[in-house]
Amino acid sequence: MIDQDFYDNYFRALLNGDRLTCGKIVQTLLDQGIEIKVLYRQLFEKTLYEVGHLWENNKISVAREHLVTAITESLLNMVYPHLFKKNRVSKKAVISCAANEYHQIGGKMVADILELNGWDTYFLGANTPTDQMLAFIGDIKPDMLGLSLSIYFNFPALKQEIEAVNASFPQLDIIVGGQAFRWGKMPFLDDFKNLHYIASLDLLEKEFGINDNKVDSE
Amino acid sequence: MMPIYETFLNESSLLFFILDQQGTIQSANRSAHKFLGDTLAGKPFESIVLDFYNTFDFDSFRQKENVVQPLNIKRRNGLPQTYLFKFKTHGNSIYAVGELDNDELETVRKEILELNEELSNLTRELHKKNAQLDALNQEKNQFLGMAAHDLRKPIGLILSYSEFLIDEASPDLNAEHIGFLNTIQKSCVFMKRIVDDFLDVSAIEAGEFELDLRPVNIGDVLEQGLRLNKLQAEKKGIALMVKKSPELPRLLIDQSKIEQVITNLVSNAIEHSPPKSQVAVTLTFDAGQIKFSVEDQGSGIPKDELDKIFKPFKKTSIKKTGGEKSTGLGMVIARKIIEAHNGRIWINSKVNKGTHVHFILPEKGAAHE
Repeated sequence: MIDQDFYDNYFRALLNGDRLTCGKIVQTLLDQGIEIKVLYRQLFEKTLYEVGHLWENNKISVAREHLVTAITESLLNMVYPHLFKKNRVSKKAVISCAANEYHQIGGKMVADILELNGWDTYFLGANTPTDQMLAFIGDIKPDMLGLSLSIYFNFPALKQEIEAVNASFPQLDIIVGGQAFRWGKMPFLDDFKNLHYIASLDLLEKEFGINDNKVDSE
Repeated sequence: MMPIYETFLNESSLLFFILDQQGTIQSANRSAHKFLGDTLAGKPFESIVLDFYNTFDFDSFRQKENVVQPLNIKRRNGLPQTYLFKFKTHGNSIYAVGELDNDELETVRKEILELNEELSNLTRELHKKNAQLDALNQEKNQFLGMAAHDLRKPIGLILSYSEFLIDEASPDLNAEHIGFLNTIQKSCVFMKRIVDDFLDVSAIEAGEFELDLRPVNIGDVLEQGLRLNKLQAEKKGIALMVKKSPELPRLLIDQSKIEQVITNLVSNAIEHSPPKSQVAVTLTFDAGQIKFSVEDQGSGIPKDELDKIFKPFKKTSIKKTGGEKSTGLGMVIARKIIEAHNGRIWINSKVNKGTHVHFILPEKGAAHE
């Protein structure tokens, strides 16, 4: 559990674009042995949603929102030395942002949570063209595809992408999530039987059961 | 000018100047003062322009009325900023209006964000690959350790039987057969060394390298370590000169491992020494530190090859004088052992002069942090 004072100091520094202070706070938490999942859910995810909310309400500028994302993205680098050490399960996931979607950090955090649970993840980043993603899925043959959507207006692109994936890989499990879904789940999502909407990083583990798999070795 | 426009111009983020016909600033709005400085009136307009090559010509700018012209402006914070300027003459005055090139700023911002994302993705990939390499390295060490462990026993048996035959059956064998046995024995000794080194390295890399620390007299450790070296030096006709301080302290060290290092370093020196040369070993105690050094008169190591010495399986171009073989692991193991004792090991060498290897151990041995 992250202390409220810690959270408030971090959030203030984040909004002020003070990367160094944010880095110090994250380092302190890491030194204290915070669980990576807790750091992701209670600090990174929570602040990003809060900042997104401020942006949607015209309380902060696009530039400020981008600065916050860029700082958070650089802070994820501090976590990586702790992230990939876990024992592996024999599961692979491809994680991507929908075409035209430039906000990649949510998808990356999903990939990181999967890594923490022993999955091998392939993170394709922002604005991945559909044909390239299909080719990559064909090569890697993942157990799951994760698609992140932050901007509500990109739902049509997401739908097209899901249709294309479903046509080529009908058995592939697909998870979707991201800030765009805060405005409500689109009805078309129910048309795809292998599609799962994941509302938060917490629910990624709880609902989708990604940590139910037995690890290969201790 | 109507007062309402004046108010807006004063409050807007545009830079606004009124100049005389010579280009001297008569007045400026609040933004201009905020970004460029408090005192602008009376200054020539060109004084606020960054003009590296002295090519700025105010007259030619002012004559292009209503044409947007980019100018790099010196801001009061010392950073240059590009503004898009328009000039307009009205009566005896010239009006100059500059606005930020927002398209350019937006392009730069987008590029930086994309680069930041790419860098972050690459960093993630790099960490992932590192973790995979670590895992592979561990598997390799496990395999190496298992293979070396399983090979040790049969090699030991072949070595024992070959030595037994050399000792006991020599009178019944001809010179050629004895030669074969000697070759088998020498090869076994070398194989055993490789296997021992592999076991050491795999233990070190797997983090299973443990020190058996006991208080021992370092002078005794030196004597023990040199036992094999003395025979080796004698066989090659090399003078092994040993000099040690009369009073040496007891240190908390792993005796067998420090002996291993001493034997190895001195053995290297002998192997690289020409016959009838000298190998000097010194052991002193000074300023709370044990200082060991071994110096040979061999061919020396070229400067550009010195960094290979402490890297696994890297061998220098220098050949041993008696054709002895090397695993390329001895110095790696020596360094690990010395560092595990909180010590330091280093090497100096000059081509055609010889090589000087040193290590120091703190008086408190491995207990010292």
